[in-house]
Amino acid sequence: MNHVIEVKNLTKEYKTLKAIDDLSFEVREGEILGLLGPNGSGKSTTINCILSLLKFSKGSIQIFGKEMTPNAYDIKKELGVIFQEVAVFEELTVYENIDYFCGLYIKDKKVRKQYIEEAIELVGLEEFKKFYPKQLSGGLLRRLNIACGIAHKPKLIFLDEPTVAVDPQSRNNILDGIKKLRDNGATIVYTTHYMEEVEILCDRIIILDKGKILAQGTSDELKELAKIEEKVTVEINQLEDSMLEKMKKIEHIEEVNYTENTLVVTYNKGENNLGNLIEFLKRENLGYSKIYSERPTLNDVFLELTGKELRD
Amino acid sequence: MTVFKTFLKVLNKCKFSVILNTVILLIFAGVNMQASDTQMNFEATKPDILIVNQDTNIGITQNLTKYLEGNCEIIAVKDNEDAINDALFYRDVNYVIYIPQNYRQDVLKGENPEIQIKSTGDYQASYAEMLLARYVKVQNIYVKELVKQTDNKTLADEKVENEIIEKINQTISKQTEIEMTSKLDTTGLEKATFYYNFANYTLLAGAILVICLILFSFHEEKIRKRTIVSSMKYQKHNRILLLSNGLFALVLWLFYVLISFFVVGNVMFSTQGLIYIVNSFVFTLCALTIAVLVGNIVNNKNAMSGIVNVIALGSSFLCGAFVPVEWLPDTVLKIAHCLPSYWYIQSNEIVKTMEELNLETLKPIMINMGVVLLFSIGFVIVTNLIARKKRKIA
Amino acid sequence: MFYHNFKYAFKTLFRDKMLIFWTFAFPIILGTFFNMAFSNIENSEKLDIISIAIVEKEENEIMKQAFETLSDEENEDRLFQTQYESEERAKELLENDEITGYLVLLKEEPKVVIKSNGINETILKYVTEEIMQNTEMISDIVEKRVQESMQGYPEGIYNMPNVENIYEDVMKMLEDNQVEFKNISNSNLSYTMIEFYTLIAMTCLYGGILGMTAINHNLANMGNVGKRTSITPTSKGKIIFSSLMASYLAQLIGLAILFVYTIFVLKVDYGTNLPLIVLLSLTGSLAGLSLGIAVATLIKANENAKIGILIAVTMLGCFLSGMMGITMKYMIDKNVPIVNLVNPASMITDGFYALYYYDTLDRYFLNIVSLLIFSGVMIILSINGLRKQKYEAL
Repeated sequence: MNHVIEVKNLTKEYKTLKAIDDLSFEVREGEILGLLGPNGSGKSTTINCILSLLKFSKGSIQIFGKEMTPNAYDIKKELGVIFQEVAVFEELTVYENIDYFCGLYIKDKKVRKQYIEEAIELVGLEEFKKFYPKQLSGGLLRRLNIACGIAHKPKLIFLDEPTVAVDPQSRNNILDGIKKLRDNGATIVYTTHYMEEVEILCDRIIILDKGKILAQGTSDELKELAKIEEKVTVEINQLEDSMLEKMKKIEHIEEVNYTENTLVVTYNKGENNLGNLIEFLKRENLGYSKIYSERPTLNDVFLELTGKELRD
Repeated sequence: MTVFKTFLKVLNKCKFSVILNTVILLIFAGVNMQASDTQMNFEATKPDILIVNQDTNIGITQNLTKYLEGNCEIIAVKDNEDAINDALFYRDVNYVIYIPQNYRQDVLKGENPEIQIKSTGDYQASYAEMLLARYVKVQNIYVKELVKQTDNKTLADEKVENEIIEKINQTISKQTEIEMTSKLDTTGLEKATFYYNFANYTLLAGAILVICLILFSFHEEKIRKRTIVSSMKYQKHNRILLLSNGLFALVLWLFYVLISFFVVGNVMFSTQGLIYIVNSFVFTLCALTIAVLVGNIVNNKNAMSGIVNVIALGSSFLCGAFVPVEWLPDTVLKIAHCLPSYWYIQSNEIVKTMEELNLETLKPIMINMGVVLLFSIGFVIVTNLIARKKRKIA
Repeated sequence: MFYHNFKYAFKTLFRDKMLIFWTFAFPIILGTFFNMAFSNIENSEKLDIISIAIVEKEENEIMKQAFETLSDEENEDRLFQTQYESEERAKELLENDEITGYLVLLKEEPKVVIKSNGINETILKYVTEEIMQNTEMISDIVEKRVQESMQGYPEGIYNMPNVENIYEDVMKMLEDNQVEFKNISNSNLSYTMIEFYTLIAMTCLYGGILGMTAINHNLANMGNVGKRTSITPTSKGKIIFSSLMASYLAQLIGLAILFVYTIFVLKVDYGTNLPLIVLLSLTGSLAGLSLGIAVATLIKANENAKIGILIAVTMLGCFLSGMMGITMKYMIDKNVPIVNLVNPASMITDGFYALYYYDTLDRYFLNIVSLLIFSGVMIILSINGLRKQKYEAL
C-alpha cells in the first residue's frame, strides 16, 4: 500500500515547550486516519506542520512521495483542509465562499460550477446558497466550512476537529459526508478528541499526548493494549464480601468492584463471560435488577496508557 | 458594588483608548488656542505685514518703514518668494509691501514710484492698505508742495527731505480721543470662551467614546442575558451602571475644568469663570445622556467609532465649537438649534460679552441651560424606551 | 486566477460596511461639515460696512461731510452706515451692540466712543484720524501758501491773497493724489481649500484599511481565511497582488466619488490641471495602500487594534497637515519641515496646495516623489512579512 504522507522525526518547539516530540508516522492511501488526543496534545500543530504553514525544528515531511514546501503547488492542488475554526468570508454568501476557494484550485468555470453544486449537496446546504455566514447556525456554518475545503475534490483531506460544538444532526451529516469522500477515493486525516467518532469512522488511529505517539493501530488493535476485554455491570442489592471472593475465582475475571449497589466485573479474556456470570448469580441465588456487558472503549486504552481520562 | 467594580475593571481595560483620546484632544485644544491668539484686541489690531525693501533704508524710505513698523506687526519670514507666498496663503502675513529700488530718489524727484503689494483681501489687509495709502498720500502731497519750490527737475537736498519727513510725521501723528465704555478683559474672556467652546468636542467625544465602550462590554449579548436572569433587579443594575458612567463623566469634566485654569488663567477665578464651569457641567450631563443613548442603540463596536466621530465632529462644526459662531452661515445656525451643543456654546458666547452680572443678564444663560437640560431629559426618555424594548426581545 | 481573486477581493471589500463607512461615507460627511462651517469664513473676514452713529454736539462741517461721503450708498468704497442720533440714544445703541461706536462732533477735535477693542472700532478710529489729519494738512499747506503769496511784497503793503482760491487748489491737489498700488498676489488665496485637501489626504490614507483587509485575507498568520488561502496551489505573490489591486481600485472609486462630491456639490477648487490632480490622487492612494500593508504586516495586534492604529495615524497625519486648523500646517512647514518628510497626509495636502496656489510645478513634483519614496519604504519594510510562508506560531 502506498504511503500518501510520511512524517519522520518531526519536532516542533515553542520557546520552552515541545509541542511535537520526534513524531514519525505515515498515512496510507485510501484510509481514514484518526489523530486522537486531548486538547493541547499537538494534533493541530502536526497538521499545520504537514501543511507547511508552521516552521518546525527537526524532521521531514513527504506528501505523495515528494517533499512538502510552501511552493509545492502540485502537491497543494490535491490537498483539502477543513480547519478547526470556521474560515470563510463574512461578506460572501455560501455559494460565493465555496466558489472563491474552489476557484483557487479549479480554473475551468464549468467544471467548477459542477463541483460546487456537488459539494453543496454533499454537506446538505442546498437551501442556504444565498445566505451569509452570519445567518447560519453553528452546525450549518461548520458544513459550509467543510464544503469550502473539499469542493475541489482533493485526494488528501485534513479535517481538524470539524465537529466541535456541532448539534447531533449536523454531526451525523458531517460524518456521513466524510465516509462518502473516502468511498470516492480520498485519503483522510481526521483529528478529534471524540473517541466515539474515531471508532465508527477511522480505519486506523494514532493516539497522541504531549506531542508524542502513545499508540497506533486499528480500533481493535488498540483495545488489545488495554488489559481488559470485557466489562460487565450488575445492579445488585446487598452483596457480601465472601461472595466477592468466591466470584474472583471464576475464569478470566481480572477485577471485581462493588460500590453502592453496583457490581463491576472486568475480564481480561474469554468468551461467554456474561453467560458464566449469570449462571453464577443464579447458582448463588442472588437477585439483580439490571445486567449488561460492555466492550472496552478507547478511553479505557488512554486511561491505561497515561493514567488519565481522555475526556476533559 | 460589584457592578461598579466591574465598571472600573472594564474602564481599566480601555485605558489606552482613553489616554490616547485625551492626549490628542488636549493637543488639538492647545494648538488651536495658540492659533487663535491673534484675536482682536485694540492695541493688537495691528495687521500682520511684511516689508520687502529693495531700496537703501535711509531718509524717506526709512521713515516709511519706521511708520509701518509702528502701526503694523512685522512678521519674520524667510527671504524667498515661496516662503512669502506661503506666509500670505496661511494668513501669517496679511499684506506684503514691496518697496522698489531707488524709491527714495524717485519720490524726491516727484515721480511717484509704484509700490507693489500682495494682499489676502481680508479686513486686516484692507486696514494695512489704508495705513499705507494714507502715508503715501501725505508724503506725495508734501513732496509736491515742498520740492516744487526748490527745484522741480533735480533731486531735492537733504534739508528739504528732512522737512518733508518732519511734515509727514507731524501730520500722521495726530490722534483722536477714544473713549471705551467696556472694561472687560476681552482677551481672557475670549480665551476662556474658545476653550470652553472647544470643550464641546472634547467632552462629547470623550464621554461617548468611553461610555459606549463600557456599555458595549456590559451589553454584549451573553452578558446581557446573564444580567437579566440574575437576581439583581434590572432597574437597579441599570441605575448603578448609569451612576458609574455619571461618575466617569464627572471626572472627565473636572479634568477639563482643571486644565482650563492652567490654559486660560485668571479669568477662571472670576464670576464669569464660574458661569463657564457651571455651563460646562450642565453640558456634561447632556453628553452623558447622549453617550448612554448611543451605547444603547449601537451594538457594533466598529460602527461606534464612526458614530462618535460623526456626532462629536458634527455638532462641533455646526454649532461653532471650532469656527466662531458669527462666521457660520445662517442656515447652518438654524439647523444647529436642534443640537444641545448650540445652546451650550451660545451661553459661552454670552458670557464673553457680559458686562454686568445680575438676574437680567443671567436670564438668557439660564434659559440656554434649561434647554440643554430638556435635551438631556429627552435623551433619557428615549434611552428608557429603547432599553425596555430590547429587554423583552432578549 | 488574477481575475477570479480580484473579483472576490473586490466583492468582499465592498460588502464590508465598516470599511465602506470609513473610506467612503466618513470623508463625505466630514467634507459636508467643513463646507457648512467654513463656507462663510472668508467672506466674514472681508471688511463689512460698519454701523456707526454721529452725535452733533457742535458743528464740524468737514467731519460731517467726510463721513457722509464714506456712508454714501453709491460710493464703491463705502465704509460706514451712519445715523444721526442724540447722545442718549447713541449710548443705548452701542450698549445693545447695534452700532460699532459713535462719533461726538465737537468744533475742534471729535471724540470717538466705542465699547471694546476690535477691527471695526480700529477702522472707525483710523478714519476719524485720517480726516483730522487731512484737515490739518490742508490748513498747514494753505497757511504756508498764503504766507508765501504775501512774501515778496514790501512791508506794510498787503496784497490780500485769495484764500478761497488757494484752498480750492489744495483740495484739488489732495483729490488728484489718489494712491494706488499694484497687487501682484496670486489669485487663488482661499485657504479653506486646505481643509478639503486634507480631506482627500485622509481618504487616500484610509484606503490603507482596505489594503490591510486584503492582506489579512491572504496571510496565514492573520486568521483562518488566510490559512485557507495559504494552502491553495496558487502562488502567494499573485493572490496578494490581485487582492491589493482590488483594494487599490476600491480606494480610487471612493476617492472619485469624493472628488465628484467636493467639486460639484461643495465647489472645491483643485486648480485646473486635471492630469496632475489624477496623478497626485493615484500616488496618494498608493501611499495609503502601502501604509496599510505596513501596519498589517509589521504590527502584532488583532485586526480591530490595527484598524484603530491606522485611523489614529491617519488622523494625526491630517491634524499635522492642517485638518483641524491650517495654522498647524504652516507652523510645521515653517518651523519643523522635517515632519513633512514622514507624513504622507501633508505630502498629499501640500501637493494639492502647490497645484492650486503655485504657478510652478517644482513643489508639486517634490511631493509626488516624496509620496513614491514613502510608499517604497513602506513596502520594503513589509516585504519580509509578505514573503514569509512558514511561521513560528499561528
